[in-house]
Amino acid sequence: MTERHETATTCAYCGTGCGLIIETENDQIVRVRGDKSAPVNKGQTCIKGALGYHYIHSEDRLTVPLIKKAGEFTEASWEEALSFIADKLTGIKQQFGPDAFSMFACARTTNEANFATQKFTRAVMGSNNIDGCNRT
Amino acid sequence: MTKAADQHLQIAVGSDIALMNGMIKIIIENGWYDERFLTRSAINFNDLKAQTAEYPLEKVAKITGLEEKDIFAAAETFAKADRAMIAYTLGITEHHCGVNNVFDIANLSLLTGHIGREGTGIMPLRGQNNVQGAGDMGCLPNMLTGAVPVSDDAYRNKIESLWNVTLNPNPGRTQTSVLEQMESGAMKSLYVIGENPLVADVHKNHTTELFKNLDFLVVQDLFLTETAEIADVVLPAKGWAESDGTYTNTDRRIQRVRPAVPAPGKALDDWEILCRLSTKMGYPMHYADAGAIWEEVRMIADHLYGGISHARLDNQGSIQYPCPHEDHPGTTLLHTEFHDSRGKTAPFTPVTYTAPVELPDSEYPLTLTTGRRYEPYNTNTQTRYYPDTVKRKQTEETADIHPLTAEELGIEDGEYVSVASRRGEVTVKARLTEEVQTDLVFMSFHWREVPTNVLTIDEFDPISGTAEYKACAIRIDKLRQ
Repeated sequence: MTERHETATTCAYCGTGCGLIIETENDQIVRVRGDKSAPVNKGQTCIKGALGYHYIHSEDRLTVPLIKKAGEFTEASWEEALSFIADKLTGIKQQFGPDAFSMFACARTTNEANFATQKFTRAVMGSNNIDGCNRT
Repeated sequence: MTKAADQHLQIAVGSDIALMNGMIKIIIENGWYDERFLTRSAINFNDLKAQTAEYPLEKVAKITGLEEKDIFAAAETFAKADRAMIAYTLGITEHHCGVNNVFDIANLSLLTGHIGREGTGIMPLRGQNNVQGAGDMGCLPNMLTGAVPVSDDAYRNKIESLWNVTLNPNPGRTQTSVLEQMESGAMKSLYVIGENPLVADVHKNHTTELFKNLDFLVVQDLFLTETAEIADVVLPAKGWAESDGTYTNTDRRIQRVRPAVPAPGKALDDWEILCRLSTKMGYPMHYADAGAIWEEVRMIADHLYGGISHARLDNQGSIQYPCPHEDHPGTTLLHTEFHDSRGKTAPFTPVTYTAPVELPDSEYPLTLTTGRRYEPYNTNTQTRYYPDTVKRKQTEETADIHPLTAEELGIEDGEYVSVASRRGEVTVKARLTEEVQTDLVFMSFHWREVPTNVLTIDEFDPISGTAEYKACAIRIDKLRQ
């Protein structure tokens, strides 16, 4: 019999921040339910929180870095993709200065990822051109 | 919401300030404001009184389209309630006068003393799970980690010595301003994480041209979105249920998110990609895990998060910041100092009503207002994967039109029609409903098959840079056979 695991987490859709329990089998999500002990939602969910998780296992997910060459995306290793970006961004910074770069940060990802995003923008690119989708 | 409401004020789009100024005038004239609170805590009352004197009930009824008695009743109910709060979302901010709309909400709350006590206050309901946290972490052009301005020398110097770099003390550019720089050619490169601005932003055809102006575009996402398709490099990121860390919800609650399944292929956590890139560019950034990053956040912004560790969150659940030390319980209620011996004061900011920038005329006689629907989420890159077994109200975009307006146009429910503005045109199914007012049409931007933002107008609030998604002039025509 397959073993079912439960993981307590927080919903990634809206700003309400409902507590959710993810039920998994064989590394696949099989069910998401509201967490009754969560202070925000006390077990309730909307349709997105409970049933909007199928994208996670979609065949359409990006799985490798892609570099556009002659108008077509080609698969690349992390080493190749990050070296390419590092060269391009360093060149643009040297030629046009730090303010020719801008970062659109993500309001869906974690605090920790957002901290790293702004640290990269400020400490490495030397720019305060960083903003999120908070204006749309 | 309206079904659960005691009173539904269905105002004309963009007339919020007229309504609120009218309510303020009624409250002042009838003496329903909190005199003691006002004397102690509010500044600039005479200016507010003078400004709102220009909004007599008759005029407000005309601008908003409401009955005079309903406006009066709303003012009385709100002012006389023991506890009242104002909750709002993008309906307030997505206007050319969005910041002024928010100022008037603050005016109304301050006048009635409905702030700083349990059950009162102003509640902006935030749209994304971590839009609050992203800003608090410093993903804003004018704010460092911990919501402290970049211009604060002492705070910036503290981070500089920790990071061993010199930081720019001047605010950077907002997304809106970056788009302008892309138009002039001054902005050469853009790095986009988990966002699809090509579909989400106003005046889509124009936005697409601007993106093609860039020398170098990087997109880091879960899917090959419309924006990713035109990028030079696309990087695969881990998603929810795959990454570890915390989110901050709309009421400042820090909550844990935990991995439940492995990510597909070679996808990495957003922070890991940025750390590797930094290191490659000569600035080593190494963290063992998300918890190690959070420890650096706590060190910098100890005034907010000093007492919040991942371990404490794992033990006791969520904590609301500010929570400066381990023994602090967290803060459920802000602005209590309005009411106690600390004697906080705040100024009124009187504002003027201004009509939407593009009003209907003979050529484009209807008003389009845009927003979200229940089941899909933003540009639908994730919610398009609901399995067919999930029953939904709506699986394609519609133009929601009042039956009387539809009758004048000779349009039937379910018929495909052309919706056009001065900027573009889409074909969409008509849905007849009394949820909207006559001559007002509602659409969302969820389905890529109907890119509603080709219609919307590129007019922005001068302070926030938020676009006027809520009002533009359109026409609707039957499709030619």
